[in-house]
Amino acid sequence: MARSWDKAAVVLCMDVGLAMSNSFPGEESPFELAKKVMTMFVQRQVFAENKDEVALVLFGTDGTKNALAAGDQYQNITVHRHLMRPDFDLLEDIESKIQPGSQQADLLDALIVCMDLIQEETLGKKFEKRHIEVFTDLSSPFSRDQLDIIIHNLKKSGISLQFFLPFPIGKQGGTGDRGDGSLLSDHHGPSFPPKGITEQQKEGIQMVKKVMMSLEGEDGLEEIYSFSEALRQLCVFKKTERRSMPWSCQLTIGSNLSIKIVAYKSITQEKVKKCWTVVDARTLKKEAIQKETVYCLNDDDETEVSKEDTIQGFRYGSDIIPFSKVDEEQMKYKSEGKCFSVLGFCRSSQVHMKYFMGNQVLKVFAAKDDEAAAVALSSLIHALDELDMVAVVRYVYNEKTNPQVGVAFPLIKDAYECLVYIQLPFMEDLRQYMFPSLKNNRKCTPTEAQLSAVDALIDSMSLVQKDEEEGTIEDLFPTSKIPNPQFQRLFQGRKKTIYFFSSHEEGPTCKKLKTEEEEAHFSVSSLAEGSVTCVGSVNPAENFRVLVRQKKATFEEASHQLINHIEQFLDTNETLYFMKSMDCIKAFREEAIQFSEEQRFNNFLKALREKVEVKQLNHFWEIVVHDGVTLITKDEAPGSSVTTEEAKKFLAPKENANADSAAAFEEGGDVDDLLELI
Amino acid sequence: MRVMRKKNKKRALKQVCIRSVYTNKIISSNRDLLAVVFYGTKKDKNSVNFKNIYVLQELDNPGVKRVQELDKFKGQEGKKYFEDQIGHGSDYSLSEVLWVCANLFSDVQFKMSHKRIMLFTNEDDPHGDDSAKASRARTKAGDLRDTGIFLDLMHLKKRGGFDTSLFYRDVIIAENEDIGIHFEESSKLEDLLRKVRAKETRKRVLSRLKLKLNKDVTLTVGIYNMVQKAYRPPPVRLYRETNEPVKTKTRTFNVNTGSLLLPSDTKRSQTYSHRQIVLEKEETEELKRFDEPGFILIGFKPLMMLKKHHYLRHSLFVYPEESLINGSSTLFSALLTKCLEKEVMAVCRYTPRRNSPPCFVALVPQEEELDDQKIQVAPPGFQLVFLPYADDKRKVPFTEKVMANPEQVDKMKAIVQKLRFKYRSDSFENPVLQQHFRNMEALALDLMEPEQAVDLTLPKTEVMDKRLGSLVDEFKELVYPPDYNPEGKVTKRKKDDESYGSKRPKVELSEEELKAHVSKGTLGKLTVPALKEACRMYGLKGGLKKQELLDVLTEHFQKA
Repeated sequence: MARSWDKAAVVLCMDVGLAMSNSFPGEESPFELAKKVMTMFVQRQVFAENKDEVALVLFGTDGTKNALAAGDQYQNITVHRHLMRPDFDLLEDIESKIQPGSQQADLLDALIVCMDLIQEETLGKKFEKRHIEVFTDLSSPFSRDQLDIIIHNLKKSGISLQFFLPFPIGKQGGTGDRGDGSLLSDHHGPSFPPKGITEQQKEGIQMVKKVMMSLEGEDGLEEIYSFSEALRQLCVFKKTERRSMPWSCQLTIGSNLSIKIVAYKSITQEKVKKCWTVVDARTLKKEAIQKETVYCLNDDDETEVSKEDTIQGFRYGSDIIPFSKVDEEQMKYKSEGKCFSVLGFCRSSQVHMKYFMGNQVLKVFAAKDDEAAAVALSSLIHALDELDMVAVVRYVYNEKTNPQVGVAFPLIKDAYECLVYIQLPFMEDLRQYMFPSLKNNRKCTPTEAQLSAVDALIDSMSLVQKDEEEGTIEDLFPTSKIPNPQFQRLFQGRKKTIYFFSSHEEGPTCKKLKTEEEEAHFSVSSLAEGSVTCVGSVNPAENFRVLVRQKKATFEEASHQLINHIEQFLDTNETLYFMKSMDCIKAFREEAIQFSEEQRFNNFLKALREKVEVKQLNHFWEIVVHDGVTLITKDEAPGSSVTTEEAKKFLAPKENANADSAAAFEEGGDVDDLLELI
Repeated sequence: MRVMRKKNKKRALKQVCIRSVYTNKIISSNRDLLAVVFYGTKKDKNSVNFKNIYVLQELDNPGVKRVQELDKFKGQEGKKYFEDQIGHGSDYSLSEVLWVCANLFSDVQFKMSHKRIMLFTNEDDPHGDDSAKASRARTKAGDLRDTGIFLDLMHLKKRGGFDTSLFYRDVIIAENEDIGIHFEESSKLEDLLRKVRAKETRKRVLSRLKLKLNKDVTLTVGIYNMVQKAYRPPPVRLYRETNEPVKTKTRTFNVNTGSLLLPSDTKRSQTYSHRQIVLEKEETEELKRFDEPGFILIGFKPLMMLKKHHYLRHSLFVYPEESLINGSSTLFSALLTKCLEKEVMAVCRYTPRRNSPPCFVALVPQEEELDDQKIQVAPPGFQLVFLPYADDKRKVPFTEKVMANPEQVDKMKAIVQKLRFKYRSDSFENPVLQQHFRNMEALALDLMEPEQAVDLTLPKTEVMDKRLGSLVDEFKELVYPPDYNPEGKVTKRKKDDESYGSKRPKVELSEEELKAHVSKGTLGKLTVPALKEACRMYGLKGGLKKQELLDVLTEHFQKA
C-alpha cells in the first residue's frame, strides 16, 4: 500500500500550441500522441491507487489562466487542473476537453508556472517527490534569460523533470557499466538526427539537454523520451512509482572497523497489489458475505471445539509437540538487531549465481553527505574489484527479522559505485540432486550433423549486434526494459470495464499507427505477449487483430471465432459484456477495412441487427447506434456498395415493416445462425 | 518417499551418519519412513526369524524416541551397549538380509513413491567362499529391483581397497547404471554424509514442459528446484484436553440470511475511484492466462551479458525429459554442448503454469562437475535464471561517488586478504530453524533447557581482530579524519533534532493564504502542526484532533 512518504506531486505540462497539431501525412500529430502518453500515465496512476497528486498545465492555449499572469507576462498558459488525486474525470478531460490552441507560449515560462504551482500547492503537505513532465515539440521560441535561475531553483526545491518529444534525440553512452558494461551499450532506438527539424527545435533540444545535464548529469539525458518510446515502455514513468526506503546501518569488519552505509532495494518482483474481494453474486456487496473458520475433532461426529480450547503444536518427526505461542516467542532465536557484518572474503568464483536466493537485490552505498564513509566504502569496493573477490556478510534488517547470510560484490559504474547484496542459501535450503551424465551416454550423444544444426541455430538467433570496429555489443532485446505484460493487461482490461460503467463517450479505439517504429513495437510486444493461436474470451478483440495481422489464421476463420464470442457475450444479456462485444465489433470493422473484407463485416452487422431484434437486446443496439458503428461504406472501402446515406439509415430506428423478416428468426436461432450468413 | 538402511560392523561412522540422516529427515521431510537393520549380528530380531539379522527400528517416521535410541550407541559406552544388546556375529546371508528389508516395505500399508535400501559395509566380498549364497543374494537383489526397490552401496574404507568388482558390481545395478556415477569408498565421515545426503533426497520434478526452439522443433525438459527456502514447519492446532490435532473448516455464509454460500453464489470485485468491476472467479484467473505452459526460445546472447546484479528470484535447474518426446536428451545435449562452446545463453519466454503470466528467463549452460570423490557437484544442464521486467527495477538515489586513492585501496586489500576463506554453499546453518528444532527436542525429551544452537552467521570477531592486527588502525588513519566517529549515532540524532526544531516555524501561513484555503475548502490539506500554529497565531483554542482544528479555524474566518 502506498504510504504517505512515497507520495509524489506531478505536474503534467503540455504544449497545445499551434505547431503541435502539425503532422506528416498518415501520422498522428504530436498533440494526439502527447495526449495518448498522458492518458497512459494517468491510467496507471488511477489504477495504482497511490496517494500521488497530479496537476495539468497547458501552454499555447488561446486563453490565460495562471497565478503568475500579469500584464504581458506568462500569457497563453492555463492551469487546467490543480494538484489533486487523479480520477476518471481527469482521464475524460484529457480525452475530450483538451483542444489544440492557436497560440505559442514560452516553454520556460510554462516551467516557471509549473514550479510555482508545485511550490504553492504542496505547501504544508508531505511529498516525497515533486516532478514535472513536459510534453512539447519545442517549436515555440523561448527566452533564455531565466534558464540558470530555473535550473538553480529546480535543484534547490528537488523538483525532477522528464521531457517527452515527438522525435528521439541522439543519446550517447548512458550510465555505462564498467567491467561488464564497457563493451556494451544498452541504449537502443535510432540515434540519427530527427527528420524535418527546424532551427528553433534544434535550439530547443540544446536547451532541454542542458537543463537535464545540469540536473542529473549524464543520466539526465535518459529522461528525455520520444513519444513512441514512451508508448512502447510504460516503464518510463518510473519516477513516480514506489521508491525504496533507505536502510541505514554500519558495515563492520571485525569489532573495530565500521563504515556508515545506506542500502536501497534495487530489484524486487513487482506484484499486482490489488486483490479481488469476494462479493455476493446477487447484490454485488462484500458486506453480505462472511467467512468463518471452525475447529473440529477428528471423530465421527466432527465435534466442534472453540478456538480457545485449541493450542499450537509442531510436528517433530512422527511426534506432535504442544508449543504455545508464548513459549515459542520466549524460546525462539533472537537476532541482535540490524547488522551488516562481514564474515569473511572469498574468491568471486566460489559464490555462484545459482546459489542466489531471496526476493531482493540491495544496493549498498556510503551514508549520505559523509565523505569519510564514502572513501572507506570506495576502498573496499575497489579492493574487492581488483582482487576479484566478494564479501560474505551477515545481514539482519531489524531485530524482528531473521538473519541472512549473503554475498556483497562490487558494482562500479561511471556515475556511482556500490556493493550489491544478495542472499545466499543456508545448508537447509540446498537440495543436492544428481542427474545422469549427458556426456558418456551413448543414447543421447548428438551427431556431428545435429551439432552443426544447433550451431547454425544459435548464430541465426543472436539477440546482439556486434560492432567489430568499436568492439561494442548492442543488446537488441533488453528484457529488463520491457514492462510486465500482466500489468498492461490489467490496466487495459480495467479501463474498458470501468468506462462502460461511467459513460459510452469513449471513441473507437485509437487508430493503429503505420510508422515503422510502431510496427516494431507491435512485434516486440507480441513476443512478450505470447503467440496467439485463437480468439480467446479475455481479449477477443486484440487476439483477433493479432491473428489476422500475423496471418496465423484466415480472415474467415478468425472472424468466425470472434463472432462466436460476440454471440456468447450477448447471450449473457449483461451490460458488462455488451462493452466487450462492442470492442470486438469495432475491431472487426477496422480490420475488415484493412483486409478488404468489408462484405463479410456488412453481412455480419446486418445479421446482428436481426438477431438483436429477435432477442430483444434493444439496449445493446442503442450502444451500437450511440457509437455510430454502421456498415462499411463505399467511401471507406471500394469493395462496398453501401452509400453513406444507406449506412446512416441502417442505424435509424426500425419501422414495423421489418417485422416480417424478423419472423424468420423466430425463437432466436442458435449461435450458428450468424455464421451461416457470411 | 521412503528410505531405509542397514549396516554391519564398523559402527562408529555409521552411527553418526544415521543419526544425521534422521535429524535431517525430521527437518526436511517428516513424512518419510525410515528403518534401521543391522546384519552380521549375534542376536537376531526379525519377522521371519532369520539368523544374524537385527531389526532395530521398523519403518516409521523418524521421531524423538528413535533418535534417542540411536544415541545410545554413541561413543565408547555405546559400543559396549551394542555388544550387550546386539553383539557381533560372524555369519549372515545377504539374500536373507534383503528379504527382511523387503518385508519391512511390504508391511507398510500405504503407497510409497520411492523405496531405497542403503547398504553400509566395508566387506567387499561377503560370500567369497560360498557361491550358492552369493548367487542367491544376486537373485534377491534382482527381485528387489523388479519391485522398484533401489539398492545403494555406501561402502566404507577397507584395508587394501574396496573392490566392487568382486561382488557388488553385479548386485548394485542401480538406476545409476548409465549415469556413470560410482562413488569412491568413504574413509571420512564428511564424505559418507555427503554421499548419503545425495542419495537420500529423491529428485522431485517441479514440472515437465516443452521447450520450443522454433515453430517446428520442440523438446521436453524437467524443471527442478536446487535451492528452496526451508521454513519452520507450520504449526498444527491441537485440542487442549487431549493434545490431538483438530481439523479446520472454513465456511462462507450470507450475513443476512445465514445460509451457506456455494462458490457459485459469489463473484469477485474491485473498486477504483468508486467504480466497481465485477467478474466471475474463473474470469479473474483467465486474466492471468497468456500462453500455454512452456518455454519459447527468443534467441541467444553472450554469457557475459548476464548481469549478476539483475537477480530477481532463485534460479531453477533444467534437465531433459525423454519420457514425453523421444530424442529430447540428444537435442538438449547438443544445445548444451554448443552453448558452452560458444559461451552463450538462451533467452526464453517462460510460462510455468496455465494461469500464470510469462516471464523472461535466461538458460545458462552448466557443465557437469565431479569432485575428487567422484560425487557430482554440478549436474549437466541449464540453470534457469529469471530476468527482471522493467517494473521490477527501482531507481535508487545513489550517494555521490568519492573515489579512494590507491594507498587506501591497497590497505583495504591487505585487510581483505587477511580474512580470506573458502566459501561453501553448505557452510551456514539457519540458526532460526536449528534453534526451533533444538527447542522441539528439549520439549519432547522434557529437558530443562534447550541446547543452544551455534549461530554460524555471527562474525567471529575475535579471530578476525587477531588476524587483522594493526591493519584496521592503519586503514582508519588513512581514511577517517581524526575526530570522525563511524558509529556516530548519538551526534547524528542530536543534529536531526535541531534541524527539526529550526524547520518548524517555516510552516507559518499568512492570513490571506488561510482565508483562501477556507474559502476553497482546502484547509484539510494543511498538516496538523501547521493548523496548530495557525490557531496559536489567532489565539484560538482548538482540540488536538485535526478535525477540531479545522472546525475552529473555519469558524473563525467565516465570522471574520
